[in-house]
Amino acid sequence: MRPTLLGVVTLMFLLLFFLLTTSSGQRLGVIDLRLGSPADLAPLPHAGLIKDVRVTLNGASLTLSYEVQSTDIAAAATSVERREQVFPAKNAKPDLAALLAALVAVHDIDRSQERARLAPDDTATTETIIAVMDVIHGPTDAPLFPKVTLTGSPG
Amino acid sequence: MRRLFKRADAEPLPGLDVGALAPLVDMMTLMLVFLLRSYSTEAAPAPPEGHFELAGTVSEETRKPAVEILISQEAIYVDGRRVVAVAYLPEELLVRELYDPLLLMRGKARVEVHADRTIPWSVLKRVLHTARTAGFEDLSLVAASTSSL
Repeated sequence: MRPTLLGVVTLMFLLLFFLLTTSSGQRLGVIDLRLGSPADLAPLPHAGLIKDVRVTLNGASLTLSYEVQSTDIAAAATSVERREQVFPAKNAKPDLAALLAALVAVHDIDRSQERARLAPDDTATTETIIAVMDVIHGPTDAPLFPKVTLTGSPG
Repeated sequence: MRRLFKRADAEPLPGLDVGALAPLVDMMTLMLVFLLRSYSTEAAPAPPEGHFELAGTVSEETRKPAVEILISQEAIYVDGRRVVAVAYLPEELLVRELYDPLLLMRGKARVEVHADRTIPWSVLKRVLHTARTAGFEDLSLVAASTSSL
């Protein structure tokens, strides 16, 4: 028993040594970008209940706005209502947890909507933009809005 | 010589019995799993001079061959060649100093932007707009992966 285990330990030690010496120690993640511009053609209207999801980053404050379609059966008419939620900064940083909770709630209304727009202000750092994009995108195994478009300016 | 040709039925050395080796094997297995999971041979991007730190992301998408635009706190580099200082970026969205070298590289299909974590959107959007105007539609941002095991 002992010689077998010693062989395994030796092999593992060699593997560990090889991995430690050849690894760069930093893995890189790639975020595909979609850029919005006024010259682009507007996308076709989404058929689901949530029409347009937009996150605005102003300093460390976040605003989530989205359009919800509702149907009045008696009047046989549909209307679109824009709702807005503001998340003030928390400890001088964007409140990403509150934004995530709100996005999950919006996603639950219409799971077929995959698009969202992010409008950062000019002072937003790359680190903040990526953090907000990660939240909008959601986890890899259960994405919320995987198609995030960066738009030029808030408003 | 006496140690080399020790009898097979000799008493095991204290500390080398199965009970002592099993935790060592467990620990090494855990380390191996961790290292294999975080193993990467990609060199971390770095400018030839100055401080540079990538932002973190939970994305696990892997890199593909692309033109690399690196934005450090001091300057912008295209495939390692300095093209313009950040402090002297023009007010316009199109950065001519970046546009010209990118036009010469349109054979590659993609552009990867490696931006320092402190770079503001006002700078980043000009770089992205310029790359797009130069004909690169497939743009991506590279960050340090912070995804856990």
